[in-house]
Amino acid sequence: MKRTPGKSARTALTDNATGWLMMLPALAGLTVFVVAPFVLALGMSLTHLRMGSPLGAQFVGFEQYLRLLQDASFQRALINNALFALGVVPVQTLLALGLALALNRPLRGVAVFRTLFFMPVVFPMSLVAVVWILIYAPGPNGLLNGVLGALTLHHWQPRDFLHDPHLALPAIMLTSIWQGAGFQMVILLAGLQEIPRERYEAAAVDGAGPWQRFLHITLPGLRNPLIFVVIVTSILSFRVFDQVRIMTQGGPLDATTTVVYQAVQSAFDRAQAGRGAAMAVVFFVIVLAITLIQRRLLRTEREVR
Amino acid sequence: MRRVALKIIHYGLLLGAALVFLAPILFMLAGSLKPDARVLSEAGSWRALVPDGITLENYRAVLARTPFWHYLLNSLLINGLIVGLGLLINSLAGYALARLRWRGRDAVLGAVLAILVIPFEAIAVPLFYQLSLLGWRDDFSVQIAPFVANPLSIYLFYTFFLSLPRELEEAARIDGAGPLRTFFTVVVPNARPVFASVAIVTLLFYWGLYLWPLLMTTGPAVRPLPLGIATFFTLPPLHWGQILAFGVMMVAPVLALFLIFQRGFVRGVASSGLKG
Amino acid sequence: MRREPPVSLSRRAMLGSLAALPLAAMLGGCRSGTSKLSARKPTLEVWAHAGQVGERRTLVRLADSFNAGRRRFAVHLTLLPEGAYNGQLQAAALAGQLPDVFEFDGPYTADYAWMGQLQPLDELLPATLREDLLPSILSQGTYNKRLYAVGQYDSGLGLFARRDRLTAIGASLPTSPGDAWTVEHFEDLLARLAAATGNRPPLDLKLNYRGEWFTYGFAPALWSAGGGLVSRDTRPPHAGGVLDGSKSTAAMRHIQRWTAAGRVDPNLDDAAFTTGRVALSWVGHWEYPRYRQAVGRDLALLPLPDFGEGARTGEGSWTWGISAGCRHPEAAAEFLRYLLQTSNVLAMSGANGAPPATRSAVARSPLYAQDGPLRLYIEQLAEGYALPRPRTPAYPAITSAFQQAFHAVRDGAKVPETLHRAATLIDRDIADNKGYPNREAVRG
Repeated sequence: MKRTPGKSARTALTDNATGWLMMLPALAGLTVFVVAPFVLALGMSLTHLRMGSPLGAQFVGFEQYLRLLQDASFQRALINNALFALGVVPVQTLLALGLALALNRPLRGVAVFRTLFFMPVVFPMSLVAVVWILIYAPGPNGLLNGVLGALTLHHWQPRDFLHDPHLALPAIMLTSIWQGAGFQMVILLAGLQEIPRERYEAAAVDGAGPWQRFLHITLPGLRNPLIFVVIVTSILSFRVFDQVRIMTQGGPLDATTTVVYQAVQSAFDRAQAGRGAAMAVVFFVIVLAITLIQRRLLRTEREVR
Repeated sequence: MRRVALKIIHYGLLLGAALVFLAPILFMLAGSLKPDARVLSEAGSWRALVPDGITLENYRAVLARTPFWHYLLNSLLINGLIVGLGLLINSLAGYALARLRWRGRDAVLGAVLAILVIPFEAIAVPLFYQLSLLGWRDDFSVQIAPFVANPLSIYLFYTFFLSLPRELEEAARIDGAGPLRTFFTVVVPNARPVFASVAIVTLLFYWGLYLWPLLMTTGPAVRPLPLGIATFFTLPPLHWGQILAFGVMMVAPVLALFLIFQRGFVRGVASSGLKG
Repeated sequence: MRREPPVSLSRRAMLGSLAALPLAAMLGGCRSGTSKLSARKPTLEVWAHAGQVGERRTLVRLADSFNAGRRRFAVHLTLLPEGAYNGQLQAAALAGQLPDVFEFDGPYTADYAWMGQLQPLDELLPATLREDLLPSILSQGTYNKRLYAVGQYDSGLGLFARRDRLTAIGASLPTSPGDAWTVEHFEDLLARLAAATGNRPPLDLKLNYRGEWFTYGFAPALWSAGGGLVSRDTRPPHAGGVLDGSKSTAAMRHIQRWTAAGRVDPNLDDAAFTTGRVALSWVGHWEYPRYRQAVGRDLALLPLPDFGEGARTGEGSWTWGISAGCRHPEAAAEFLRYLLQTSNVLAMSGANGAPPATRSAVARSPLYAQDGPLRLYIEQLAEGYALPRPRTPAYPAITSAFQQAFHAVRDGAKVPETLHRAATLIDRDIADNKGYPNREAVRG
């Protein structure tokens, strides 16, 4: 950032004090409520600390981490988080892209549809999860079972979605996609509207078909928002918690357990604060890795432009 | 002719998608309006979405069983302060990082970007421990203070201020205004979109917060709306109709805000993504 | 009378200014509104779980009538939702903000006592009262030879049945825990009941419940098979060889067979028994008022099936303790004595159907007297059929591991591996905490 020449040294001095002054409230908040607990987590993760124990905390080195690496449930949680990301990120992004493309036309009623698709975003996840428990209700009385029964002319065998080891995670993924797709759609729609119309007109003059226009104009034009959407969704995939706690409690057979769910369960159900803290640290490392990859991608993108 | 056909297909697809998106919401609304026992027994038929006959009994029961208005006021107060204070201190920080030159700025910017990566879930356990040891719990402040300073908000403000043309500020500063005054008189009025989008994203995130207030508060005097649902969930027998009615009442304020300020809402969310 | 040492206040103020949120400190002041009662009388803070309607109303009424009496102290009752009740207590304990008197789930007595959060009650309650309490109440409240908690009621666990459904398939109903059905006979009856209703599930296991229910409700199956959660006679206890032993494994295999064969109603609406979908409901006393209203005289109470070594059942329920930080233990004890007056014990028992905690109340209870409809629970408690859940500070780890194992088994996991993993988790928690030595040993 270059400063315009001709400013007095006095302004620079004022900026020095004012800069810190303006930064201070936020910095203090972040220090007390983010940095301090994170450092505390690092410390706790090296102990066997049990909440409220008169024994205090004993230093055990990396024991908690070694245990996590060998723990089948925790491995399962890592895999589930990855599966969740691998499933939700492409499906939700494609769905959002499709909706955005469909709405990016001068049609009557577009605003109404946009409102409808966005509406689930304003529902808190804890409420969404409760409603979807009923939607997934087992037996022919469940909404989804009923719909599938009607669509297949009653050839569908009603399932207990949330207790089926193969269906529970996809069920939670579907719930999350329903709740989140509208958010991404809006971002992509705004991106579409930033693409200059002239580019399409020029391409049409050159005889490019719709598919080619999509490949060569729309996709490159959407690159920035698309990367943003993909990154945010994959980070959120690792933060999945509310749905799991309310809908399946990690079951059946750990099919839906996640890293955050296990951390909260360790710390609050079993009072094992040390173990919970170690999980939180592992979680942080994963999210950090995703973010670093994001920075990389964004940087190359900026260079391209 | 082909155009009309395409249009019909287009609308058909949109309508189909809209129905899928709408069905769970309709299901919730319909369920809240019918007698408790029929919520689940009719869930497999089309009556799940269209009740025959409407009763407000569930809503009456919710109002009788929980101090709903009280919870609502608490939620409004808590979220209002998280959003309001957050806008103030995070925009100041974003501006200082984007426009002012001060010693240590680059280091602080780096730190904020690093903190951006730490999600609340990762620090919830130690933060809970830390605040509990300090004896700080069960009031409004413990539900607000941890969420006011927000690295994502700072980042959104920072990128927005970077993209703002500098001319206005420079004119103001040549006229002798200090950075603070420049910020409040020149920058803020030109930065409404980013304020709106930060406010919205913050509100969407914190309105439904459940676990934190559950653990950190005891008295109904300070508890927010989402905890009301615990009242229904933990007292068998389950009254699904009442649970759904409570859900409708819980989401109604945000939904109303959304429908009224739809354009700003959508634009705000969109710009939060584009600037990233 | 919320205990707020000046230290924590100043620390909070410091933190507030650190965060540059003077408002926070100001808002913090609002909290005194929660405990604003009469300014003249000193007040005891009391926390309880928000149980079912009748239970809640009765407790509120008892607190009101206590306050109406001419006493030196008033009580201020706060009801907390049951879902995360223990988590909320742990948080308050950590913050040093437990109220003067609080209710908690019986098996957590050892945990709270070990953490030093409770005051012993031996000297606070008169001997006559302690002698009047049922032995199961005394043993539930005792840790390390001291009494730390007393409950107004115990609990009863069994099968509620629709008599006509069972007689229709020619089953004979056991009348005492001694002649409980064998588990094989029980499975045969389930098959016949299902056949009589077009293969609909005939059994409700309250799979819709959360948390502690699964340990309370199904540890008895393990005991009845000769197994258990952890060893009973060793100090510290261990789960290896017990929870994953052949007897516990056999019991859990039976339960898995029921769910796998489609004999168990998922009961999402908690109305499987009241609407007549199932003929049998495996549940505690708290459903008696609702079931009785729905089924009427056709309702029968039966012992749980015998898994091999005699019928077993659960005991223990919500209980009251005085926090270590309470500065007026005599006043708090006065409130507990009030709760334990025969008429008040009976009022609560009438509201929630639970077995009254004192002998004198049992004798006068229409539900539990000699020919009362719930007499079976008293027989179970008095004749050794009921067992307490493990009384150790490791209980949070034990119950969490067992609940997880139960759900895995329900969903079809391999039983031996599942139980072995749960046992390993428990034993590791015990080892991590050095076998949970007594506080005295810790200090010394």
